Amino acid sequence: MNLKVEQKDELTVVYLEGRFDAYSAPDVNSQMESLSEKQETPQLIVNLQDVVFVDSTALATLVQAMKRCRQKDGDLRLSDLKQPVRMIFELTRLDRAFEIHVTEEAAITAYRA
Amino acid sequence: MGQTVINLDIPASHKHLNVLGASLGALFERVDFLTDREMLTYNMELALHETCTNIVEHAYQSKEDGRIRVSITLSETDRQLVIDLYDKGISFNITEAKEPNLDEVQIRGYGLFLMRQLLDEVIYTPSKVENHWHLVKNL
Repeated sequence: MNLKVEQKDELTVVYLEGRFDAYSAPDVNSQMESLSEKQETPQLIVNLQDVVFVDSTALATLVQAMKRCRQKDGDLRLSDLKQPVRMIFELTRLDRAFEIHVTEEAAITAYRA
Repeated sequence: MGQTVINLDIPASHKHLNVLGASLGALFERVDFLTDREMLTYNMELALHETCTNIVEHAYQSKEDGRIRVSITLSETDRQLVIDLYDKGISFNITEAKEPNLDEVQIRGYGLFLMRQLLDEVIYTPSKVENHWHLVKNL
Protein backbone atom coordinates (compact mmCIF):
# COMPACT_ATOMS: atom_id res chain seq x y z
CA MET A 1 0.00 0.00 0.00
CA ASN A 2 1.12 3.57 -0.60
CA LEU A 3 1.51 6.14 2.16
CA LYS A 4 1.99 9.84 1.46
CA VAL A 5 2.37 12.58 4.06
CA GLU A 6 1.52 16.25 3.63
CA GLN A 7 2.14 18.89 6.26
CA LYS A 8 -0.63 21.49 6.31
CA ASP A 9 0.66 24.05 8.82
CA GLU A 10 0.32 22.46 12.24
CA LEU A 11 -1.58 19.42 10.90
CA THR A 12 -0.11 16.29 9.34
CA VAL A 13 -2.29 14.57 6.75
CA VAL A 14 -1.53 10.94 5.95
CA TYR A 15 -2.92 9.60 2.68
CA LEU A 16 -3.18 5.83 2.48
CA GLU A 17 -3.92 4.01 -0.75
CA GLY A 18 -4.74 0.36 -1.43
CA ARG A 19 -5.29 -2.55 0.93
CA PHE A 20 -4.68 -1.82 4.59
CA ASP A 21 -4.35 -5.32 6.03
CA ALA A 22 -2.09 -7.64 8.02
CA TYR A 23 0.41 -7.60 5.15
CA SER A 24 0.76 -3.82 4.84
CA ALA A 25 0.06 -2.87 8.49
CA PRO A 26 3.61 -3.35 9.92
CA ASP A 27 5.04 -0.83 7.44
CA VAL A 28 2.21 1.66 8.05
CA ASN A 29 2.68 1.20 11.80
CA SER A 30 6.38 2.05 11.71
CA GLN A 31 5.81 5.11 9.52
CA MET A 32 3.00 6.37 11.76
CA GLU A 33 5.17 5.76 14.82
CA SER A 34 7.98 7.88 13.44
CA LEU A 35 5.49 10.64 12.54
CA SER A 36 4.14 10.84 16.07
CA GLU A 37 7.64 10.64 17.58
CA LYS A 38 8.88 13.59 15.54
CA GLN A 39 6.21 15.96 16.79
CA GLU A 40 5.70 17.41 20.23
CA THR A 41 1.91 17.37 19.92
CA PRO A 42 1.05 15.23 16.89
CA GLN A 43 -2.15 16.30 15.17
CA LEU A 44 -2.78 13.75 12.47
CA ILE A 45 -5.52 13.23 9.93
CA VAL A 46 -5.57 9.88 8.17
CA ASN A 47 -7.37 10.25 4.86
CA LEU A 48 -8.81 6.84 3.89
CA GLN A 49 -10.40 7.87 0.60
CA ASP A 50 -8.25 5.51 -1.47
CA VAL A 51 -8.26 2.61 0.97
CA VAL A 52 -10.24 -0.25 -0.53
CA PHE A 53 -9.94 -2.78 2.30
CA VAL A 54 -9.38 -2.60 6.07
CA ASP A 55 -9.00 -5.65 8.32
CA SER A 56 -8.72 -6.11 12.09
CA THR A 57 -4.93 -5.67 12.01
CA ALA A 58 -5.37 -2.32 10.30
CA LEU A 59 -7.89 -1.31 12.97
CA ALA A 60 -5.34 -2.27 15.65
CA THR A 61 -2.67 -0.21 13.87
CA LEU A 62 -4.89 2.87 13.82
CA VAL A 63 -5.88 2.41 17.48
CA GLN A 64 -2.21 2.16 18.51
CA ALA A 65 -1.31 5.25 16.46
CA MET A 66 -4.25 7.21 17.92
CA LYS A 67 -3.20 6.24 21.46
CA ARG A 68 0.38 7.36 20.80
CA CYS A 69 -0.87 10.76 19.60
CA ARG A 70 -3.23 11.20 22.56
CA GLN A 71 -0.45 10.33 25.01
CA LYS A 72 1.29 13.46 23.73
CA ASP A 73 -1.91 15.56 23.95
CA GLY A 74 -2.41 15.29 20.21
CA ASP A 75 -4.94 13.27 18.24
CA LEU A 76 -5.41 11.09 15.18
CA ARG A 77 -8.61 11.71 13.29
CA LEU A 78 -9.99 9.88 10.27
CA SER A 79 -11.59 11.20 7.12
CA ASP A 80 -13.13 10.09 3.82
CA LEU A 81 -14.03 6.52 4.77
CA LYS A 82 -15.74 4.42 2.10
CA GLN A 83 -19.07 2.97 3.27
CA PRO A 84 -17.91 -0.67 3.79
CA VAL A 85 -14.87 0.59 5.73
CA ARG A 86 -17.03 2.86 7.88
CA MET A 87 -19.30 -0.10 8.65
CA ILE A 88 -16.38 -2.03 10.16
CA PHE A 89 -15.69 0.89 12.49
CA GLU A 90 -19.37 0.89 13.45
CA LEU A 91 -19.50 -2.89 14.04
CA THR A 92 -16.50 -2.73 16.37
CA ARG A 93 -17.78 0.56 17.88
CA LEU A 94 -14.45 2.15 17.07
CA ASP A 95 -16.46 4.94 15.42
CA ARG A 96 -16.95 6.15 19.02
CA ALA A 97 -13.25 6.03 19.85
CA PHE A 98 -12.07 7.93 16.78
CA GLU A 99 -13.19 11.33 15.63
CA ILE A 100 -14.34 10.52 12.09
CA HIS A 101 -15.07 13.20 9.49
CA VAL A 102 -16.77 12.92 6.14
CA THR A 103 -14.08 14.96 4.42
CA GLU A 104 -10.51 15.98 5.09
CA GLU A 105 -11.60 19.63 5.01
CA ALA A 106 -14.11 18.93 7.80
CA ALA A 107 -11.36 17.30 9.87
CA ILE A 108 -9.09 20.32 9.35
CA THR A 109 -11.88 22.71 10.31
CA ALA A 110 -12.64 20.68 13.46
CA TYR A 111 -8.98 20.74 14.53
CA ARG A 112 -8.84 24.52 14.11
CA ALA A 113 -12.19 25.26 15.75
CA MET B 1 -28.45 -21.58 -11.57
CA GLY B 2 -27.36 -24.35 -9.22
CA GLN B 3 -24.15 -24.74 -7.37
CA THR B 4 -20.69 -23.38 -8.13
CA VAL B 5 -17.65 -24.75 -6.33
CA ILE B 6 -14.25 -23.07 -6.40
CA ASN B 7 -11.28 -24.76 -4.76
CA LEU B 8 -8.12 -22.87 -3.92
CA ASP B 9 -4.92 -23.95 -2.26
CA ILE B 10 -2.91 -20.92 -1.12
CA PRO B 11 0.28 -20.32 0.86
CA ALA B 12 -0.45 -19.49 4.50
CA SER B 13 1.03 -16.00 4.36
CA HIS B 14 -0.45 -12.53 4.73
CA LYS B 15 1.02 -11.62 1.36
CA HIS B 16 -1.25 -13.94 -0.60
CA LEU B 17 -4.59 -13.44 1.14
CA ASN B 18 -5.67 -10.80 -1.40
CA VAL B 19 -6.20 -13.66 -3.87
CA LEU B 20 -9.30 -14.68 -1.91
CA GLY B 21 -11.02 -11.32 -2.23
CA ALA B 22 -10.37 -11.25 -5.97
CA SER B 23 -11.93 -14.72 -6.31
CA LEU B 24 -15.01 -13.85 -4.27
CA GLY B 25 -15.46 -10.57 -6.15
CA ALA B 26 -15.29 -12.31 -9.50
CA LEU B 27 -17.75 -14.98 -8.33
CA PHE B 28 -20.30 -12.44 -7.04
CA GLU B 29 -19.96 -10.27 -10.13
CA ARG B 30 -22.03 -12.76 -12.16
CA VAL B 31 -24.72 -13.52 -9.60
CA ASP B 32 -27.93 -11.70 -10.53
CA PHE B 33 -29.96 -11.79 -7.32
CA LEU B 34 -27.51 -9.97 -5.02
CA THR B 35 -28.94 -6.66 -3.82
CA ASP B 36 -25.91 -4.91 -2.31
CA ARG B 37 -23.06 -6.54 -4.18
CA GLU B 38 -20.34 -4.10 -3.08
CA MET B 39 -21.09 -4.44 0.63
CA LEU B 40 -21.58 -8.20 0.46
CA THR B 41 -18.33 -8.71 -1.43
CA TYR B 42 -16.44 -6.58 1.08
CA ASN B 43 -17.98 -8.30 4.10
CA MET B 44 -17.40 -11.83 2.82
CA GLU B 45 -13.85 -10.97 1.81
CA LEU B 46 -13.26 -9.60 5.31
CA ALA B 47 -14.75 -12.69 7.01
CA LEU B 48 -12.66 -15.01 4.85
CA HIS B 49 -9.56 -12.85 5.30
CA GLU B 50 -9.95 -12.82 9.11
CA THR B 51 -10.27 -16.62 9.14
CA CYS B 52 -7.08 -16.96 7.10
CA THR B 53 -5.26 -14.40 9.27
CA ASN B 54 -6.18 -16.53 12.27
CA ILE B 55 -4.79 -19.63 10.51
CA VAL B 56 -1.58 -17.82 9.48
CA GLU B 57 -0.93 -16.38 12.94
CA HIS B 58 -2.25 -19.09 15.26
CA ALA B 59 -2.26 -22.41 13.39
CA TYR B 60 1.01 -21.81 11.52
CA GLN B 61 2.40 -19.19 13.94
CA SER B 62 3.41 -16.94 11.01
CA LYS B 63 5.95 -19.50 9.76
CA GLU B 64 4.66 -19.09 6.18
CA ASP B 65 5.48 -22.62 5.02
CA GLY B 66 1.97 -23.97 5.54
CA ARG B 67 -0.92 -24.15 3.13
CA ILE B 68 -4.60 -23.28 3.42
CA ARG B 69 -7.15 -25.20 1.38
CA VAL B 70 -10.23 -23.15 0.66
CA SER B 71 -13.45 -24.44 -0.85
CA ILE B 72 -16.05 -21.82 -1.79
CA THR B 73 -19.52 -23.10 -2.63
CA LEU B 74 -22.14 -20.73 -3.94
CA SER B 75 -25.62 -22.16 -4.17
CA GLU B 76 -27.83 -19.85 -6.20
CA THR B 77 -30.85 -22.10 -5.63
CA ASP B 78 -30.48 -21.99 -1.84
CA ARG B 79 -29.04 -18.46 -1.90
CA GLN B 80 -26.22 -19.53 0.33
CA LEU B 81 -22.46 -19.12 0.42
CA VAL B 82 -20.51 -21.85 2.19
CA ILE B 83 -16.76 -21.59 2.71
CA ASP B 84 -14.69 -24.45 4.12
CA LEU B 85 -11.08 -23.89 5.11
CA TYR B 86 -8.56 -26.56 6.08
CA ASP B 87 -5.14 -26.19 7.65
CA LYS B 88 -2.52 -28.57 9.06
CA GLY B 89 -1.28 -26.24 11.76
CA ILE B 90 -1.73 -26.13 15.51
CA SER B 91 -5.35 -26.48 16.66
CA PHE B 92 -7.02 -23.47 18.17
CA ASN B 93 -9.33 -23.54 21.20
CA ILE B 94 -12.22 -21.43 19.97
CA THR B 95 -13.95 -21.57 23.36
CA GLU B 96 -11.01 -19.73 24.93
CA ALA B 97 -11.17 -16.87 22.42
CA LYS B 98 -12.48 -13.87 24.31
CA GLU B 99 -15.12 -11.59 22.85
CA PRO B 100 -13.85 -8.01 22.75
CA ASN B 101 -15.32 -5.58 25.26
CA LEU B 102 -16.82 -3.07 22.84
CA ASP B 103 -17.19 -0.46 25.57
CA GLU B 104 -13.41 -0.17 25.69
CA VAL B 105 -10.99 0.55 22.89
CA GLN B 106 -9.02 -2.59 22.27
CA ILE B 107 -6.07 -3.38 20.10
CA ARG B 108 -6.65 -7.11 19.59
CA GLY B 109 -9.56 -9.50 19.51
CA TYR B 110 -11.71 -8.09 16.70
CA GLY B 111 -10.97 -10.82 14.13
CA LEU B 112 -13.21 -13.61 15.38
CA PHE B 113 -15.80 -11.06 16.49
CA LEU B 114 -16.02 -9.67 12.95
CA MET B 115 -16.33 -13.18 11.50
CA ARG B 116 -19.25 -13.93 13.81
CA GLN B 117 -20.92 -10.60 13.04
CA LEU B 118 -20.59 -10.93 9.28
CA LEU B 119 -21.53 -14.60 8.91
CA ASP B 120 -24.58 -16.67 9.84
CA GLU B 121 -22.55 -19.67 10.96
CA VAL B 122 -18.95 -20.10 12.13
CA ILE B 123 -17.99 -23.65 13.11
CA TYR B 124 -14.45 -24.68 13.96
CA THR B 125 -13.46 -28.34 14.22
CA PRO B 126 -9.92 -28.95 15.48
CA SER B 127 -8.19 -32.13 14.36
CA LYS B 128 -4.76 -33.70 14.51
CA VAL B 129 -4.98 -34.32 10.77
CA GLU B 130 -6.56 -31.10 9.48
CA ASN B 131 -8.34 -28.27 11.28
CA HIS B 132 -11.57 -27.20 9.64
CA TRP B 133 -13.42 -23.88 9.58
CA HIS B 134 -16.97 -24.00 8.20
CA LEU B 135 -18.47 -20.62 7.35
CA VAL B 136 -22.01 -20.02 6.11
CA LYS B 137 -23.69 -16.86 4.84
CA ASN B 138 -27.31 -16.76 3.74
CA LEU B 139 -27.55 -14.37 0.81
